[in-house]
Amino acid sequence: MDDATSKSFDHPYTVLGEDPSLVIPPAESRQRPTKVYFWILTSTVFLLSLAGLIVRENPNRAENSIPAAGTAIPESSQDNVRFLPVGEAEGVSAKSYPSTRGRLSFNWTAADFAWQRTSYHFQPEKNWMNDPDGPLFHLGWYHLFYQYNPDSAIWGNITWGHAVSRDMIHWLYLPLAMVPDHWYDIDGVWTGSATILPNGTIIVLYTGDTNEAVQVQNLAYPSNLSDPLLLDWVKYSDNPVITPPTGIETDEFRDPTTAWTGPNGTWYVLVGSRLNTTIGVALVYETLDFKNYTLLDHPLHTVDGTGMWECIDFYPISTNSSVGLDNSATGPEVKHVLKASLDNLKLDYYAIGTYDEGNVTWTPDDPEMDVGIGLQVDYGRYYASKTFYDQNKGRRILWGWVNETDADYDDLAKGWASVQTIPRVVTYDSLTGTNILQWPVEEIESLRLNSTEFEDVFVEAGSLVPLDIGNATQLDISVEFEIESTQALEESMLGETESQLECSVADNRTTLGPFGLAVLADESLSELTPIFFRLAKSNGSLKTLFCVDETRSSKATEVFKEIYGTVVPVLDGEKFTMRILVDHSIVESFAQAGRRVITSRVYPTEAIFDKAKLFLFNNATDLNVTAAIKIWQMNSADIHPFPLY
Amino acid sequence: MRLRTTLNNLHLILLLLPFLSLLPLLHSSSDRNLVEQTCHLTPFYDICLSALRSSPTSASSDLHGLAQIIAGSVLQNANQTLSQIQQLLDRSTADPKTEQSLAYCAELYIPVVKYTLPQAIDALSRGRLGFAVYGISDAVDEIGGCQKLLSLESPVSEGNKLVTSLATVALAIIKLLQKGFF
Repeated sequence: MDDATSKSFDHPYTVLGEDPSLVIPPAESRQRPTKVYFWILTSTVFLLSLAGLIVRENPNRAENSIPAAGTAIPESSQDNVRFLPVGEAEGVSAKSYPSTRGRLSFNWTAADFAWQRTSYHFQPEKNWMNDPDGPLFHLGWYHLFYQYNPDSAIWGNITWGHAVSRDMIHWLYLPLAMVPDHWYDIDGVWTGSATILPNGTIIVLYTGDTNEAVQVQNLAYPSNLSDPLLLDWVKYSDNPVITPPTGIETDEFRDPTTAWTGPNGTWYVLVGSRLNTTIGVALVYETLDFKNYTLLDHPLHTVDGTGMWECIDFYPISTNSSVGLDNSATGPEVKHVLKASLDNLKLDYYAIGTYDEGNVTWTPDDPEMDVGIGLQVDYGRYYASKTFYDQNKGRRILWGWVNETDADYDDLAKGWASVQTIPRVVTYDSLTGTNILQWPVEEIESLRLNSTEFEDVFVEAGSLVPLDIGNATQLDISVEFEIESTQALEESMLGETESQLECSVADNRTTLGPFGLAVLADESLSELTPIFFRLAKSNGSLKTLFCVDETRSSKATEVFKEIYGTVVPVLDGEKFTMRILVDHSIVESFAQAGRRVITSRVYPTEAIFDKAKLFLFNNATDLNVTAAIKIWQMNSADIHPFPLY
Repeated sequence: MRLRTTLNNLHLILLLLPFLSLLPLLHSSSDRNLVEQTCHLTPFYDICLSALRSSPTSASSDLHGLAQIIAGSVLQNANQTLSQIQQLLDRSTADPKTEQSLAYCAELYIPVVKYTLPQAIDALSRGRLGFAVYGISDAVDEIGGCQKLLSLESPVSEGNKLVTSLATVALAIIKLLQKGFF
């Protein structure tokens, strides 16, 4: 196959649907005259009686659907038994969507479910996974630990799963690192972080849920530091090392961070909680030996109205270079990022600010964009993210948990749930000065196979361009759009009328959008996932929205189909750029070199295997764009158990 | 009559002589045979034999010990090749393209000698044979990546080929261990 094929299109567009102004046709509308009603009624009566005979002949109607694997729970009984989403009763954020319980599951086949599994994202061979834990680099290996249920595809019996990789892409599964085997973590070995001390010692602090459902913090460390695989872990004999202080709810106290140094050999660690149920708080603990801790009398930071802060992350970032910094770094060209996972919203928020070493407090650069009320780490299906300092290549790496958006009975049927994003390098966006940039680690490029390139593709207002690239389920796409200066654009810039700043659906045609790509789309567009830019005038200036529209991603009714989006700053002279990683049921979309990111989960029923296609589209009514696009086919990461023996 | 007896004795001695000369061989024949037997089961008999015979302990080693000797030899030669690359870079007499290739080769070799091979050797000593195979195979891949960038006349090619051959021998012996040979 050719490495790169350049094609340019002179007349690219194909207009679909009867109405020429509708490029991406909306869902079919039905017409019902009375005559037809009568006919339907009589034939239904006839058919039902016929069906009554047939059903008796074929009791096994559900030939195409998969019987639920493992604990096969009939739907009706589940409605009575489970009122809360899984996890909430125990005091962690909800890990499932019982609201989908009433909906009928699509008749998924084994092949459908198998297709949903990702090819190059990290996920265990089976069962449930959630928060990434204690990521680190040691003796040539990147380690990933993760919340894992070895017994089921829904949350519960939480252990620390373990995997290693040379390059954070080709992962090898290892035996479980820690299991609930002491009173202080018998109800779950929950989220935690690793700290590598200057002498190379590794310590892990993690939340244990005790036999009385109290959240405590425990210390653990590798039994053999010279084992590059860090197979065996030891729990400190005098655990727990931190218990909930007075005034803090015993089930809202968790997720200890990586430690950083203070003066005179002290170390600081944060634990997340809430005050008066509504104020998110980062509590600070001080320690010299990681065994004995003192709570500081003031938190690092609080933000009213944000509720419980889970999975706090706190790290320095260089403002004048793209080099990563160790957690203890400070200096004039250093800012600190504070991030929290908001339990109330199931969203990850962050803010950039200044750390005061003397007071051990942190202040956001912009209080109106404080943690929990400003920027999100990712605007899609994304939670419990955590960074670590990669001392191997001097980078700050970000992990994020991506839950399913299908029903948990689908997960039980297919036997697995959740993936991790491709790890991202985090840097400061010196062009805007107000956000971080996230970008997939460059090691992902080792998966690239052949590529196809299209330059100068003129995508006129109201057109759709199919991109003939072969397989379209494992892709790494880079696309740049340039917009033509039209009268409509000028008028938008100068005129009084402001448009509503919302993504809306892709077939909602506005003057200046949307334009972008439709991934995991079938030929007839009965299913598609558009990823697009939509320009709109708001507050006197032209804004750009970056969106992912899942509403037509699948015909299945029990899956969640969201519209995710955010405003993305596009600076003078910048083109509109996207990088998109398509990997079966996960799509990671990066706008403006990682200024904003949206991760989504989709479960197409038609646009799968060789039926999945890729399209460029421009649904604007009065804006032409020119696109330059490069698409790589991606190989599998071949994630498998470590061949120890 | 006396002459005949002497001649008979002489015959006897002459007959026995070749067998007597074999006595020292018989003493350690099983061990020498193990080295030879093992090397016959690898793709590079001469390289295998040479590497094993240069070690004083090979004569009294079991198969596992022979694997360790070869693995040690892989690391030793990899270190030497890396030194050679670094010396060539220090001299910087080569054209920019060659320098770039050499620099990239060094980048490939460093984690191999720092982590990959020492960990494979350690894994071997702990009986984690799969891990040892994984590591040594990984080293072969990395060195292959280096070799692809170099011209055939490059002085580094010889080192690359030797390390790769020794690694291949090591892998063959470890696979024998995995299968439970000897």
